[in-house]
Amino acid sequence: MNRLIVTASKAVLVALIVVWSVFPVAYVVINSFKFQRDIFAFPPTIAFTPTFDNYLDLQKNYPEFFGFVWNSVIISVTATILSVFAAACAGYVYSRYRHNALSASAFYLIAIRLLPPLVVTIPLFPWINQLGLADTHLILVLLYATFWVPLNVLIMKEFIDKIPRELDESATVDGASEAQILRHVIAPLSIQGMVACAVFVFVFSWNEYLYAFIFTIQNAKTTPLILSELMDSVAGTNYGILFAAATVQLAPIVVVVMLLQRFLVSGLTAGAVKG
Amino acid sequence: MRRLNLFHLVLLTPAQTLVTLMLAAPAFYVFWLSLTTSSYGLNPQFVGLDNYINVLSDKHFWTASWNTFLIVNVVVYIELVLAFGMAVLVASLKKGRMLIFALILVPYAISEVVGVLAWRFLADPNIGLVTQAFAAFGITFNWTRNVADALTLICTISIWQHLPFTFVIIYAAVISVPRDLYEAARVDGANGWQQTWNITIPLIVPAATLAIVFRYIFAFRMFSEVWLVTKGGPVRLTEVLGTYLYRTGFTFADFGGAAATGWLMVLGALLLSVFYLRSMYRKSFSDE
Repeated sequence: MNRLIVTASKAVLVALIVVWSVFPVAYVVINSFKFQRDIFAFPPTIAFTPTFDNYLDLQKNYPEFFGFVWNSVIISVTATILSVFAAACAGYVYSRYRHNALSASAFYLIAIRLLPPLVVTIPLFPWINQLGLADTHLILVLLYATFWVPLNVLIMKEFIDKIPRELDESATVDGASEAQILRHVIAPLSIQGMVACAVFVFVFSWNEYLYAFIFTIQNAKTTPLILSELMDSVAGTNYGILFAAATVQLAPIVVVVMLLQRFLVSGLTAGAVKG
Repeated sequence: MRRLNLFHLVLLTPAQTLVTLMLAAPAFYVFWLSLTTSSYGLNPQFVGLDNYINVLSDKHFWTASWNTFLIVNVVVYIELVLAFGMAVLVASLKKGRMLIFALILVPYAISEVVGVLAWRFLADPNIGLVTQAFAAFGITFNWTRNVADALTLICTISIWQHLPFTFVIIYAAVISVPRDLYEAARVDGANGWQQTWNITIPLIVPAATLAIVFRYIFAFRMFSEVWLVTKGGPVRLTEVLGTYLYRTGFTFADFGGAAATGWLMVLGALLLSVFYLRSMYRKSFSDE
């Protein structure tokens, strides 16, 4: 009897946790397949006639939307590659060498990471305008890649630390140069760490709002920014389109996180608990 | 130990260049800007500490500071308690752990914009599911008019989005507590609560401290949740430091004032992370 109560209350708590985590997202997705009248129904209709009208309306009324999704794809992929490359190269040096200057520069990376991102927009704004970089993909790529460099360097160091040094040493004895060791020994064995770092940058770049809001005007706008504008313009009048657009934005990234959750968790624990 | 050479410098260059150009240099230049007046950061004229005096004597700055303080403390500690409860619960499950873990991570994958969109709709004053459910119990909830309700909504969204992070950190610590400690306690006759109080909690303190520090730092720089929910309104009463800085700089074109706010925020961030930085400093220089 006692066991039964414990099991039952655990089941209820687990159900609550799942509802709390998933319901707001599921609600957006489900509503994107509803007609307007069903969206507003209270209590919500469970058995409703699904429709793709909202997606067709999105395509018809906001044809430019999918161009902005493409912007997000380009910016997120490029930022991810740049950030992981920079972090892997630096992580290798921090893992294999000890030097006072190195420790100082590692500490510098960690300290910089604590700066509020909003603060750097103030001086960057005039510089970026003068360099003609405002509203370009490049500026968002640089900002997004940089934002994760400090933590990713730490994560890569943790992962490369786990590769036995004997492997580098025997490769050296066999006459391999350090660049070759990096390419043929370290890189393949630290793939897991690189994937973890990549997930962080990709999720961040795909979802980021603040920098996109400040540094883009028209050409380089990303999906979250368009969503926020849609939210202000169609909320109350046409929720269906808004939910369809939100679903297009969130579906791919939720799938990525679900599939790669193992890497994400290993990265979080390596970067936070040990770093 | 092999020696550092030019090749290693080349390897460090991309990471260090990005961080220096995009973060460090602007952060120092902000300090100069905070001592000047300028037109969107161009042609700065030196004015000494005037900007700091203006900011510190602006009542909206103090509203923003107070709201930030309130929100940060509410979200960080509620998250910690929830994350701990969830971690102990999930760790005690016999099966389905991976699935529940994956579902808990969902909000982590969601953009702040979508998070706000979903919650704003759920809490819509007229048609929101939560609002109407509350109304059935005689509770009125209107975040568009009522400051306390708006702050509650902002905190809820922030907790919802960041709980997965705190959970992952705490969960990793909870499952790394050695099993035999619980065995020994059970032999000595300790019940579940006593085991949690006397074994689990003391052993996860380091992880919990770390989670708190990180969440303090991230909650302190909050911008999007507030901006997308209330834009700081009504009448700037839900402003936080992030939106205050943005409004000063980009709405009122007072880059000096925004830069001064920025430096005050940097000092605040440093103060919050002094403990973390000290332990990192010791660690970076320990294995010389």
